[in-house]
Amino acid sequence: MTDTFQTSRSDDTASFGFKEVPRTQKQSLVRGVFDRSARRYDLMNDVMSLGIHRAWKDMTITRANPRPGEVLIDVAGGTGDLARAFVDRAEERRARNGGDPARAVVADINYEMLEAGRKRGEDERLSWACVNAECLPFGDATADCVMIGFGIRNVTDRARALADMHRVLKPGGRFLCLEFSHPTTRALSRVYDAWSFNAIPRLGQLIAKDRDSYQYLVESIRRFPNQDAFKREVEEAGFKNVSVTNFSGGIAALHTGWKI
Amino acid sequence: MTTSQDPSQTKDRPRASEVDPKLLEILVCPVTRGTLEYDREAGELISRSAGLAYPIREGVPIMLPEEARELSD
Repeated sequence: MTDTFQTSRSDDTASFGFKEVPRTQKQSLVRGVFDRSARRYDLMNDVMSLGIHRAWKDMTITRANPRPGEVLIDVAGGTGDLARAFVDRAEERRARNGGDPARAVVADINYEMLEAGRKRGEDERLSWACVNAECLPFGDATADCVMIGFGIRNVTDRARALADMHRVLKPGGRFLCLEFSHPTTRALSRVYDAWSFNAIPRLGQLIAKDRDSYQYLVESIRRFPNQDAFKREVEEAGFKNVSVTNFSGGIAALHTGWKI
Repeated sequence: MTTSQDPSQTKDRPRASEVDPKLLEILVCPVTRGTLEYDREAGELISRSAGLAYPIREGVPIMLPEEARELSD
């Protein structure tokens, strides 16, 4: 492990922010970051996005187009805010058109996140499971919709996770991935870099007394593949009609695809 | 080794510690993708095919092989 920014890649290391760590260690290191900040997770997203992540999530749910009777698997679902929004949106439609309630499974590797989510209110339309995104404990073709919001960046083997999310989708099912991405203009990119590399770790220290987690957040966002490169990864996992929508000039991006 | 108990013996158990039946319908072993047996008494989901018992914490199944108990038989 080194403290320097490395661009070299080898098969037995994975990126943890700008550090290269043994592949087997990344999962526990990432879990550590979120264990330390489980209760402050929304706060981290608020700081990172100036609160705009709430609007991004809302637009993601609109694109997901939740319908009564559907099953959502919310991978890296954390405290379950996307899952709750999904079943609520389906409920609005059910009030007009009838049908069964939609259901969602909030699946996350971190138990503390799930626990924090359940404390926000039990909801019989939601289930909770502790899972690794790379080997999901769900049968083939069990979900109408699979979503991952601000989670794919923390997965060690993205190709495996994408392939497994494809597997659990029913034919005709849809996949949505919301993640921090790369600003599409140079001007915005400069402002964003200054904000993220200078301000965010300091704010993390001030607000959450946790500079390291915020430093990891910033570095992992920077290392994540850009919109086009990640679109190719989604396509390689088998998804069809893959599209990219930039939010806030590419600070976040929504990738969507279909299982045909 | 482990056998499922008669559910009637455990009905005084608070509902919060039970796994959601709707979730059980779609859960499989993450290692083998084989079926799971729900041992209510032990609070475990058992994968015979993987030889693992996944713990359940406050009704939340912990489907991580590294947290599972190896079956001794």
